[in-house]
Amino acid sequence: MNKQGNKADLAKLLQQVNKNMEALGTKLDRIIDLQESLTRILTPEKKPSYEGLPLDVATLLSLPDHLRKTALALSELGEATATKISEKTGRVRAAESDYLNQLVTKGYVSKRRKGHDVYFYIEAK
Amino acid sequence: MGKAIAVHSYKGGTGKTSISSNLAALYAAKGQNVCLLDYDFRAPSIHVLFKTKMNRTLNDYLEEKCEITDALHDLSGKYQTKGRLQVGFANPSTEAMREMITKDRTWEMKALHRTLAAKNTLYDKAKADFLIFDTSPGVSYSSINALASSDFVILVSKLDEFDMEGTKEIVHGIYESLGRKTGLLLNRIPTEQFPMGAGQKELEQSMAKIFKLPFLGVIPCYCDIQANGGKHLFAVEQPKHPFSQALSEVIERVDQQLKTI
Repeated sequence: MNKQGNKADLAKLLQQVNKNMEALGTKLDRIIDLQESLTRILTPEKKPSYEGLPLDVATLLSLPDHLRKTALALSELGEATATKISEKTGRVRAAESDYLNQLVTKGYVSKRRKGHDVYFYIEAK
Repeated sequence: MGKAIAVHSYKGGTGKTSISSNLAALYAAKGQNVCLLDYDFRAPSIHVLFKTKMNRTLNDYLEEKCEITDALHDLSGKYQTKGRLQVGFANPSTEAMREMITKDRTWEMKALHRTLAAKNTLYDKAKADFLIFDTSPGVSYSSINALASSDFVILVSKLDEFDMEGTKEIVHGIYESLGRKTGLLLNRIPTEQFPMGAGQKELEQSMAKIFKLPFLGVIPCYCDIQANGGKHLFAVEQPKHPFSQALSEVIERVDQQLKTI
């Protein structure tokens, strides 16, 4: 009799555990839904990336002003050192060197060394 | 070193081709060496006005099939200009127009570099004092390539809301972004809207306020120019015509702007 009573208690307990687990699952689902909605609201919309595309006028227009000026000067000169670019833009060499290397990192511009000088150029992809 | 001028507008039908062709002719008549380049590959039209046998075209140059100097046609003799008037035509065949709209971004990037390189060649080899680009309206690769290769932009607009609103947008979105100095020219203004006397000054001031650009002039809509569009190069064939006279004043204002570049 005692054994049967224990079994019944255990079954009840298991049913209760099962119910609790279901409730917990429902709550977890709601938390995940809420988290996803919040992420959607808080994450800014991704802008289309032009990185790695050819440096055509559409890409040029998408660049920030300081990089666009450098890229336009390089487009005009074909191949140039940072010094030559700075002569064309009227900005200091160190800034042009930094901007040119940013363009290299973005994949728009390539560079090669000739003796002591580093030449930047735009490669057709 | 010469100067490159692009004649552009937001919408079609503003008279860009008439203005660019006649400006080129006026500069040449004054003794300057001018190269007029038809960069409206979607709807070439300069060949209609100059009526000459085309050998090579600017399409051939951009396709790397010839040098830029091979794509020029010397028309100084035909119009008896003091300076050299050379014209580069866009290929007007349907096949060529179709071909141009299928180009990819890499090709357009090369076209920009070819255009920039042409500029230097024309200054050095053709001894050009002025390059004048006639462009397609709005935002197209060929027109922006021409704008990016120019020192100064003549922005042509009619006096209607459609044109003015779009024009404001491209001033900010294109010319300022490319760092190109721009002047505004109002063209084809209907007689009833054309300001007289002090009204012209008022119009100039209100345009300067709206567009924040140097004002190059206001040209009325001349019926005979409309009727003979594409038939006569008024600047040299009828230099006393009010249209030719108005363009002479535009040239003075453009020259003033070019001195500041």
